[in-house]
Parts: sequence; structure tokens; C-alpha cells
Amino acid sequence: ETDETEWKELHGCQNVTHTECDFSSAITKYYDTHHVHIRAERREEVSPWSSIFEMIPYFIAQIGPPGVQLQSTNGVIKIKVSPPEANQVQKMWLADTLFKYTLVIWENSSNAEFRNRSIFPTDVIDDLAPDTTYCLKVQAVLTSESHEGLFSPIHCVKTTHKAVSDLLCATNVSVFALNMKFHLHWNNQYKQHVSYNVQYLTGYLKTFPDQRSVNWLNVPGCENITNTQCNFSSIITTSGCYYLRVQAMSEYNRSCLSDEIEVNPLVTNEIGPPDVKVDISDLLLHIQISPPGGSESEVMRDYYDWSYRVLYWKNSSNNEEEIKMKEIKQTIGTVSDLTSSTLYCLKVQAFSKFYNKSSLFSKEECIKTPGDKILPLIILATFVTALIAVLLLAMPLIFALYQAYNKIKYVFFPSCQPPLNIEGFGGELLSSPYVSTTEEPIENCCIIETIITEEVNQIDFKDYKNSKQSSRDSGNYSNNDDASGSKVSEEMLEKEIV
Amino acid sequence: IMNAFGLIQIGLILLCTTTISSLQCNHLPLQQRKVIEKSLQLLDKMGKKFPQQCLKEKMSFRFPEQVLKPRQKETVKVAIEEIFHHIFYIFSKNLTLASWDGTALEQFQNGLYQQIEQREACVIKKQTHYFRNKDVNRLKLKKYFQKIDCFLKDKQHNLCSWEISRAETRRCLQLIDKVIRKL
Repeated sequence: ETDETEWKELHGCQNVTHTECDFSSAITKYYDTHHVHIRAERREEVSPWSSIFEMIPYFIAQIGPPGVQLQSTNGVIKIKVSPPEANQVQKMWLADTLFKYTLVIWENSSNAEFRNRSIFPTDVIDDLAPDTTYCLKVQAVLTSESHEGLFSPIHCVKTTHKAVSDLLCATNVSVFALNMKFHLHWNNQYKQHVSYNVQYLTGYLKTFPDQRSVNWLNVPGCENITNTQCNFSSIITTSGCYYLRVQAMSEYNRSCLSDEIEVNPLVTNEIGPPDVKVDISDLLLHIQISPPGGSESEVMRDYYDWSYRVLYWKNSSNNEEEIKMKEIKQTIGTVSDLTSSTLYCLKVQAFSKFYNKSSLFSKEECIKTPGDKILPLIILATFVTALIAVLLLAMPLIFALYQAYNKIKYVFFPSCQPPLNIEGFGGELLSSPYVSTTEEPIENCCIIETIITEEVNQIDFKDYKNSKQSSRDSGNYSNNDDASGSKVSEEMLEKEIV
Repeated sequence: IMNAFGLIQIGLILLCTTTISSLQCNHLPLQQRKVIEKSLQLLDKMGKKFPQQCLKEKMSFRFPEQVLKPRQKETVKVAIEEIFHHIFYIFSKNLTLASWDGTALEQFQNGLYQQIEQREACVIKKQTHYFRNKDVNRLKLKKYFQKIDCFLKDKQHNLCSWEISRAETRRCLQLIDKVIRKL
């Protein structure tokens, strides 16, 4: 045992007279390190302990032979393998669902060649000649640990004659898949009415040695159909493999199963083209790619991890233009080594390194690179704009300068000359340009007329009034004060008359 | 449905490995990441929230985290492979009492199985002859999963034992997810 001070007796190996013993019952912990030593005894004499033998049961143990059941029918051999520890409660090989089985088969004759192949626990060996005796043996293998088990005993069996192929059975069962849409097609040569059931089995179930490996289910939508095709996309997920077969049924309750076909969704399918949009700016071609799959592209993109191959070429009348290729990882890319004024065409293909698959090519998209004419146009436009800008800035400046010049000229260099007949003006440089005017003498005009007497004749008075009026009218230059004074005196006169 | 008396044509049954063997083994880690993400989603989808009544039965299985410490890529890869094997094995058992979503469970198993197959196809490609792999880390993982297996057997695969195992598996896959991202 593991602890040196706690040696225990090994059951099954006590008082043994032969040089071997079976201590299987003593071993329960298969993964622990065990130490064993042995000594000889004869009556009272005891030998010293042998050197210690260290072992881990799991690593010492060999995978035992599997059980084999054979059935020879219709020219084929049906085989059913049971795992090495099939009926044991306590097992060394826990993960027995992961055993792979290797079959070695040969004709029971001289100089027969041995054929190796890998088989499932429930399988059929059909590439055999009829009415021949074959011998075979099977071993279980744990591939991950590179551990090959012991072979089963050899079994020999004779194949029967091959029956005539039943026309009822569906033949040429094949899969057509585009992206994540899967269709099954088959042929049939039966003259009378046939209906079909398409059945599937999820891949991992085949690894079980029990009933689960033959638990075929009907594909929904393909039960009791009469046409020779089936859309089985509904049962497909990206998790792993599936097996499909077609069961043909005649009117007389006779049925026949077709060959099984294996479908590995991510491997078997054809990949549709990606979608491409192109755009041009100067001499740079911008490419925008949508991954293949359209509406299912989520799933497709998740599992495939696409890279893209862009093929582009100059589309000219000369068909010997070289096709260039560029690989890009993202869905956007640019192509830069282009010449101007050329029509370029391109197409894109998606590919997956892991699955080593390429999609169909996208549609060809063509686009023309802009020519050099653009450049001189740009130069001209820039020049004209600059010119206008300069003019706009210069105009006010020139105008301002012109105005200033005028003012200065007017002040310092007047264009008008004074008349020559006015004295004193000719030679006087600094005389004022304005002629001073003398003040006009203002006359103090007053109407010298006074009426004091009462006996003035009315007629005279009227005349006097008129004349007064008239004299008043003519007194245009008189002062107001005097006029008002004369009015007062007139009022006095009029009162007296009344 | 009766089988035909005269004839059953069952053709060549191809192993999934034959179609996968053309895959590039170097890109396997990237695929593994996607599978683990998907597996975690399916594990959640399979059943409902962890039932309260099962809390008292919760057991500590003590996952050997040191096997996933990334000392060497190969060591970790081997550990991950072993874990996938055992998870696949556990979920192959009698699940009727768990009453989980059958479709999600099927997809979960199928995904794990495909990963295992792909890995094995790459291993077969590399090796010319078998040298039995005697990795001590594998033993630690086997002990751990044996505890879970015994636990399930003792509880006769009842609902609580399944729910606890499912929670433990989720924890396992999350640890692997973390490690794979660093690789």
C-alpha cells in the first residue's frame, strides 16, 4: 500500500504455492499508486522481503477482449460488439462509450490478406464475396490514450448468397446542401405505388452498444411522401454528424431500407456566394462584403470564421489582362494599386481555413476609376476661386485708396481757379477761399403819421384809412414795433368816431 | 414496420472521422472555443434553474484545477480531451429522472462527440504507432469524475443528483473556457 508503515495482507496471495496469484479482489482504487512486496515462507523460516514493486492498477491493466455476435444474412455479416467489461458493476474503463473497435477480417483460405477497419458496436460488413467463409477478430481501442485492447477470439462465418436487389429500395441516396439548407434526393425503379419515410439518427448515438444506436427517427415533413426528395434542414444543427436513410414502403406492407448516408453539416454543404458592394474614391477601391448565407449568416459566420479572396482585373477589350488576388480577413477592404481612367471588375469568394472550404464566387462588380481630367479641373477651379477671393479683397482696398487720393487732391491741388478781375486774390496763397461779406445796413423804417384832431372829416378819415392802409401795405421794411404802435393809435381814433 | 425478407441494403457506414480527417488540426483550439461556448449555452437550456431543495445535497467534488494550469499547451490539451470524454460518458447515463430538454441534451452530446472525434482524428494523423499514454494528470481527472459517477449511482440518478452533476459540469466547462482563451 501507499504508506510504507502500513503494509496489509494481499488477499488472494496468501499461502500461495505457485509463483503467481490473483489479487483482483484486493484492488479497488484503480488510480492510486500501490506498493507490493513478497516473501517466501517455509514452516518457521521466513525470507526477507523482496524489493518493492510499485504500480498504478489503471496503467498496468490491459483492455480485455470484447464480446462478438455475428449474423450472416443476404451476403453481408451483421456484427454486434459488446464492450470488454459489459456486465461488471465496478469497471476499470469508465468511459467505455468511447471505445472504438477495430475489426480484422480475412478469407479462410491460404494467402488471404488481412483487412483492418474501424467499426461501430452495431455494424454491417458488406464488402464481401457471397458464399465464402471469412474469419474475423475484434479489439477495443481507447484512441485518446493510444491503448489497444486484447483481441477477441477468432470467429469464422460463411456468407450467404446475395439476394436479387429489390427494386422497391431507394437507390443513389445523396445530399444536396447550400449553406444551411439540406435536401435529400434518391431514385426509385419500382413500377407500382411507393411511399417513403425518411429517417435520421444523430451521429453520437452510433457509438453506443445498446438500442440507442438503432433508434432512428422520422424526419418531420418527410413521412409517407411520394416524391423522391426531402428537405431535412429542420433536424440539422451545427453540433455534429447525422445519418440519414430512406425507407420505401409498398402497398403490400413490404418495406425496404436504403443505404445510410452520413451528413456532417459544416463539411458536406456547398457554400453560397457572398454579397459585394463596391465604391470608388480617387484611386482607392472600397469593398464591402456580406458573408455567405444571407438570413442564416449568423450561424454560418459563427462556425466558419470566414476569410475572403478578392479577385480583380482590368476589364478591357484585350482579354489577356492579369487577374490579381487579395486576401482580406474583415468584411471591408480596399484595393489601392489602380490606374486611373480604367474599368476594373472584381469578384469575391469566402473561404474557411479550418474546413478547407471555399464558397461560390459573388457576382462580378465593375467600376471605373476616375481619370486625370479631374486633376486639371481641380487646379482650374482652385485658381479661379483664389482669383475671385483676391479680387474681393482687393476691390475695397483700391476703392479706399482712390477716395483718399481724391480728397488729398481736392485739398492740396484744387482744380478751380478764382476769377482774375478780383483784386488781391491773385497772389495771395494763403488767403481764405471764402470771400467775406460786409454787413448790410439795416434801416429802421417807421411810418411817420400821427392823427390827433377829433374834427377830422369822415370822408377824409376814410380816405385817410385807405391811405393809411395803403401806406401800411407799402411799409414792407418797417419794424413790427412801430407798426403795432400805429395800430393802437388807430383804435383810439375809431372809438372816438363811434 | 417489417423489414424486407429478401433484402436489406445497408451500405458502407462511414465514420464521422473520415470526413473530418481532412480538417486542419492546427485550428482545432478555435473550434474548441466555439464548441465550449455552445455547450455551456445548451447546458443552461437543458433544464431550469437549480432547484432549491437540492442545495442541501450539494457535494464538493474538488476539481483538480492544477491540471489546467497552462504550463505546457500539450498538457492542457490532453486534460481538456479527458474532460470532454468524461462529460460525454456521464451524460450518456440514464437521464429520465432529470426530465431535461431532449433536443438540447442531444445537441450537447453530439457537439462533444464531434469534438472528441476531431481530436482523435488529429491524434491518429500524428502517430505512426501506439505508445500508451500514461499521463498522471489523466488519473487526477479520472478520480474526480469517478466521484461524480459514484455520487450519481448512490443517489440512483435522481433529479437532485443530476442537477448537482449538471452544475459541476458547467463549472468544469467554464474553467476550460477560461484556460482556452489564454492558449
